[in-house]
Amino acid sequence: MAEFIVMPKMGLTMTKGLLTNWRKKEGDTVNKGDILFDVETDKITNKIEAKTSGVLRKILVDKDTVNILVPVAIIGTADEDISELLEQAAGTVEKAAPQKEEAQKQEAAPAQERKPGERVKISPRAKKTADELNVDFNLVTGTGPGGAITEDDIRKFAERHKTKVSPMAAVVAGQLGVETDNIEKDTRIMKADVVKYKLDENLAKYADPQEYRLPMSNMRKIIAERMLESVQTSPSVSFNIKVDTTGMKQLREELKDTFKVSYTDILVKIASQVLLEYPMLNSTINGDEIITRNYVNMGVAVALPAGLLVPVVRYSNVKGLKDISKEIKDLGERAKTNNLMPDELSGGTFTISNLGMFGIESFTPIINQPEVAILGVNAINKEPVIINDEVVVKPMMNLSLTADHRVVDGAVAAEFLARLKEYIEKPGLLLL
Amino acid sequence: MKIAIIGGGPGGYTAAIRAAQLNAEVTLIEKEQVGGTCLNKGCIPTKVLLHTSGEYQAAKKFESCGIKIKGIELDWAETQRRKTEIVNKQVKGVENLLINNRVVRINGEGSFLNKNQLKVKEIDGSETIVDFDYAIIASGSKPVIIPIPGVELPGVITSDEALNLTEIPSSMVIIGGGVIGSEFAEVFSAVGCKVTIIEMLPNIIANMDQDVVSTLVFKFENSGVDIHTDTKVVSISKSEEGLIVNTQSDGKEQSFSAGKVLLSIGRNPVTDNLALENAGVATNRGAVAVNKNMQTNVPNIYAIGDATAGVMLAHAASSEGIVAVESIMNLKPNIDFNTIPYCVYTKPELAGVGLTEEQARQKGYDVKVGLFPMSINGKAMIEGEQQGLVKYVTDNATGEILGLHISGPTATELIVEGALALRLEATIDEITSTIHAHPTVAEALHEAAHAVHNNAIHMPI
Repeated sequence: MAEFIVMPKMGLTMTKGLLTNWRKKEGDTVNKGDILFDVETDKITNKIEAKTSGVLRKILVDKDTVNILVPVAIIGTADEDISELLEQAAGTVEKAAPQKEEAQKQEAAPAQERKPGERVKISPRAKKTADELNVDFNLVTGTGPGGAITEDDIRKFAERHKTKVSPMAAVVAGQLGVETDNIEKDTRIMKADVVKYKLDENLAKYADPQEYRLPMSNMRKIIAERMLESVQTSPSVSFNIKVDTTGMKQLREELKDTFKVSYTDILVKIASQVLLEYPMLNSTINGDEIITRNYVNMGVAVALPAGLLVPVVRYSNVKGLKDISKEIKDLGERAKTNNLMPDELSGGTFTISNLGMFGIESFTPIINQPEVAILGVNAINKEPVIINDEVVVKPMMNLSLTADHRVVDGAVAAEFLARLKEYIEKPGLLLL
Repeated sequence: MKIAIIGGGPGGYTAAIRAAQLNAEVTLIEKEQVGGTCLNKGCIPTKVLLHTSGEYQAAKKFESCGIKIKGIELDWAETQRRKTEIVNKQVKGVENLLINNRVVRINGEGSFLNKNQLKVKEIDGSETIVDFDYAIIASGSKPVIIPIPGVELPGVITSDEALNLTEIPSSMVIIGGGVIGSEFAEVFSAVGCKVTIIEMLPNIIANMDQDVVSTLVFKFENSGVDIHTDTKVVSISKSEEGLIVNTQSDGKEQSFSAGKVLLSIGRNPVTDNLALENAGVATNRGAVAVNKNMQTNVPNIYAIGDATAGVMLAHAASSEGIVAVESIMNLKPNIDFNTIPYCVYTKPELAGVGLTEEQARQKGYDVKVGLFPMSINGKAMIEGEQQGLVKYVTDNATGEILGLHISGPTATELIVEGALALRLEATIDEITSTIHAHPTVAEALHEAAHAVHNNAIHMPI
């Protein structure tokens, strides 16, 4: 006898599935166990096997998202009359259509559930049968007048959804308090299935998984937007170079008694100088034009509990190390107390982001648009280095540069990094 | 898909036919007749002899049923002829099945050349190379010969020779009281041979439920079979009348003289001549090592049956053969190996499936047993076979049937109720609520099930 093939329910939480591919055509002979179609749920594709043999008479749903248990095809013998099933199917498809729109608006609408408040047409007798057979009639598609659910619908639904349970499985389920109806299995439910269900249930109870939903802060929204915009705009390449920081450390030591500077301060000073030699790294793309500059506005990334700000040291190329240091300190403090002026957060031409204090040894920072490059600064670690064929311990640091390949070619980025390295290793060059 | 199968026993030929059903090109390599140990040297010929010994015993009791026959005589030569005839008929049957299924048979001894080729030395001396995508090793087993002084003496035999004895020996010492030893004890004691069983373990047929085994021990003891358990054989020597088996038990030495000595201490896998090393197949003490799909460490080579030294039973081997073939053909084999029945074709017959009471207790179950004696089963009484009992082993916490053990008439047929109960995970309530026909021996099973709850109707309190 011809029957419907329905969208299977493959998991407890599954309410609908995306039928992506029919493996059989209308008129094909199907053997029990043949793969009929593919269903995508979340990230996995499931191959759905035929539960009965016959001829695939009519495909009702071709490549579409449908709720579980909705007919997707009719299987039967080659020459039998399927008009009644087709009529029934038309009913369900009509009903599924407005539901589908609903589903698009309202993600994850429960299977076949009518809209809240919508009256379910069901005869009192069918309702009583549903009670007796423990069937949730909300899940049943009515075939009576006006789509009303009949007693027969309830009985057929119950029969279709009845899974056989081994006597031992029933006993164990009783003892463990497991509802065998909740176990998803096509074949006979055995003792081991009940035990597994209970263990899974216990694990879930113990783990007590929770998810929390909060609106994004404004800052987070902007960060999210800008980062996404950046990776979509810039074809970026990352470069790493290892630098000996002995000279830079020494400089800091020498200045310590007069004025305390940080490595970031020194790097801002050096980078500001070197960027003038490599204007492409300090440029901006505007339409078909490239804007280069004779100045540097250095952005310095500051981490905050709720996000990240990049205040700008304006014209850092003409400022002395002491001024740069004071300004970075001041901007940093005001960033943390939310006292920055809007123009202190804009106009940057290059950015430095230092994660060295966290021990990071390499990363690929994301370019702060509309800039075209960003320098990631990493931790300084003592490392064995070979100098004149001898192993010497040196305080080494990795620099991670991300640059926009639209304007910065690899060789240019490499030369820039090599020059930076030279300055860092011989800070006396700043005096020239 | 080319599948080569080495060995045409119940494992190999079943695998061959199943593979052919699934449209594989199958080559079956067998150096002797098809049917293996089971058909030629095991299950079938022993059952023919057991049938004769059983009928001979029954005939002696015809008078009690109201039949008078004068001059009942045993014609051993005729028994042997009938045995050979039945074996040959069944071998022919298997051969025809193989032909009907288009299985190519090569009569010779196969050995591996590499992971995809076998060399077959045929009976006529020629050599054939067989290419295969998959191979299934089903090379079977042979009787174990223990290394004690005197095993090489004429008159010391294994089951292979015991089946073909042209004359009934006047006496026989059976070393090893397992299933094989006990069945031969049954055959020869019933036809007038003085049988002594020497068993190293505390019990004969140690792998079966001892309540059931005890009914056979009782019968043996009352029919003149001497059983010496906890007894170790030290040596075999020659005497004027025949052989002397020298034993030791608890420090005491004892000797038994006999016309024949049967070694039945077990069977070893036959894998020596397969050149497994050429294919890189791993073994464990001579047995081919396999996973649960019967696959060896070489992914396209499988092994089944006695060659893997698992459960050495024909029906286990054939089921394993189906698992191997269906795995090869990418199907999902679905055989529950907890349902393997163990059968002994003595009088009373013994049969068991699932856990014995002792095994269940060792596993930590709160065991509840239902026992029912054959002596009060009406049909058993009519048949004149009242020795035996039925024992259901269940888990008190859930009522789960853990095992069924039967001794008595048609025990080996009735055991399927237990196997099915295990397969379907039945509780004892499914048995008690099933109507068993009256009058049958099977009623004893029904009553044993009721006895779990002390509800057996016909049980004297």
